[in-house]
Amino acid sequence: MSAAPSPAAGTFDVGATPQDQARAILNILEDFAEDKGRLEKVQHAIFNILEDFSQERSRLQETQSAMLNLLDDFGAERAKAEAASLDLQESVKRLRAANDAAAASNRELEAFSYSVSHDLRAPLRHISGFSKMLMDEFGTTLPKNAQHYVERIDEGTRRMGQLVDDLLNLARVGRRDLSLQVTGLRTLVDEVIADLEPDIGDRKVEWKVADLPYADCDAALIKQVFQNLLANAVKFTRPRERAMIEIGQEQHEGSSAVYIRDNGVGFSMKYADKLFGVFQRLHRAEDFEGTGIGLASVQRIIQKHGGRIWAEAELDKGATFYFTIGTVELNALKAKSAIAGDKA
Amino acid sequence: MTDTQIEILLVEDNEDDVELTRHALQNENLANHIHVARDGEEALDFLFCEGAYSGRSFDRPPKLVLLDLKLPKVDGMQVLKRLKGDSRTRTIPVVILTSSKEERDLVQGYGLGANSYIQKPVDFEQFRNRVKSAGFYWLLINQAPVPAGASRAAAQS
Repeated sequence: MSAAPSPAAGTFDVGATPQDQARAILNILEDFAEDKGRLEKVQHAIFNILEDFSQERSRLQETQSAMLNLLDDFGAERAKAEAASLDLQESVKRLRAANDAAAASNRELEAFSYSVSHDLRAPLRHISGFSKMLMDEFGTTLPKNAQHYVERIDEGTRRMGQLVDDLLNLARVGRRDLSLQVTGLRTLVDEVIADLEPDIGDRKVEWKVADLPYADCDAALIKQVFQNLLANAVKFTRPRERAMIEIGQEQHEGSSAVYIRDNGVGFSMKYADKLFGVFQRLHRAEDFEGTGIGLASVQRIIQKHGGRIWAEAELDKGATFYFTIGTVELNALKAKSAIAGDKA
Repeated sequence: MTDTQIEILLVEDNEDDVELTRHALQNENLANHIHVARDGEEALDFLFCEGAYSGRSFDRPPKLVLLDLKLPKVDGMQVLKRLKGDSRTRTIPVVILTSSKEERDLVQGYGLGANSYIQKPVDFEQFRNRVKSAGFYWLLINQAPVPAGASRAAAQS
């Protein structure tokens, strides 16, 4: 051996003393022991990590199965949603069909009333025209009987014309959309009373008109209501020496109702349910003329406004008609101050 | 009758209405010269000097057209549309005289340029008064412009 290997930690120096050698061996053993301890720690740490991994894995598995469940649920929900959507589509289809049918019948009704308007009036005009011409040109040469017959023809035509007009109006009220605006009811009443003057002639009619509310309503239609109710009051007070017609407002079950009261011939309350029916009349034609359509139109107008109409009467003691025009009335009262240029 | 004399073109298919309208106008001596067209096509031929009326001239328009709406072949609204859409006939006053008082007829009629709209009432007395008033206003009171055709004819001569 030419050169001894240089001593290094943990190496065994053959040239050393037995004590040195023993110390070196001990050193090595000690190193081993330390290494083992470190290894054990590392192993422990690895075990921990592995354990964490396994925990993570089971958590992942749980999550995964939860997600799978969710997906299943989603699938079920989607199937349900699809079924529901089919149902919905079916409903929409049915609704559309019903709507089409309604539109078709509406069109039919419109075509019907249009043709009534055109075609039913023309022959009436001809009957009226030629009977008038007959009277104009030959009236003086006709015997009294013949003159009477021609008069009856003329009167019949006039009534038929009125019926056609009233029926058309009733149909029109039904299909018309309301055009709402805040309206002073007092103004409408004043206009209607002025329009009625020619019918009153030299009769004595005393009008008592109280302050009336403002209403968010279709002014043209509500004017029609007053036209009908006030004309009725004028008509049914005809036998009275002095007619009294009162228009005002009262509280009825929490809402304000407009009333029209007269001291006319009234009617028996046992027929009150017939009052607003089409073609229903509570008086004989020879006593009081009328088509029996007016109050039916009035009721339809009031109902279209979400309101209610009713009457109280006693035979020979006069009648009172009440109506509300729904909730609109209340807002309208507040709007009162906002209206300018309208008499209150 | 030459067309210089035509004062009113009455477009009406119903014979009874023709007779009643004539009666209403002539009794008042308002119009001695009424020409009747029995459907929309004939009315257009008359106004536009076509077909059976190709001998007419644009410088002799009627002073007034009384137009019914429900007419055979070409309806009143179509007649009105062509009449008011053409510079040669636009100034001729048109009064719609019809049974209907349907809102849509009123709106469409005025929309197309009708000068007036009269509903024929059932009561003959009222009918007579309305037709009489319309004739009186358009023939005697209203001041009509020189017809477009006439000024052109004058310029050419």
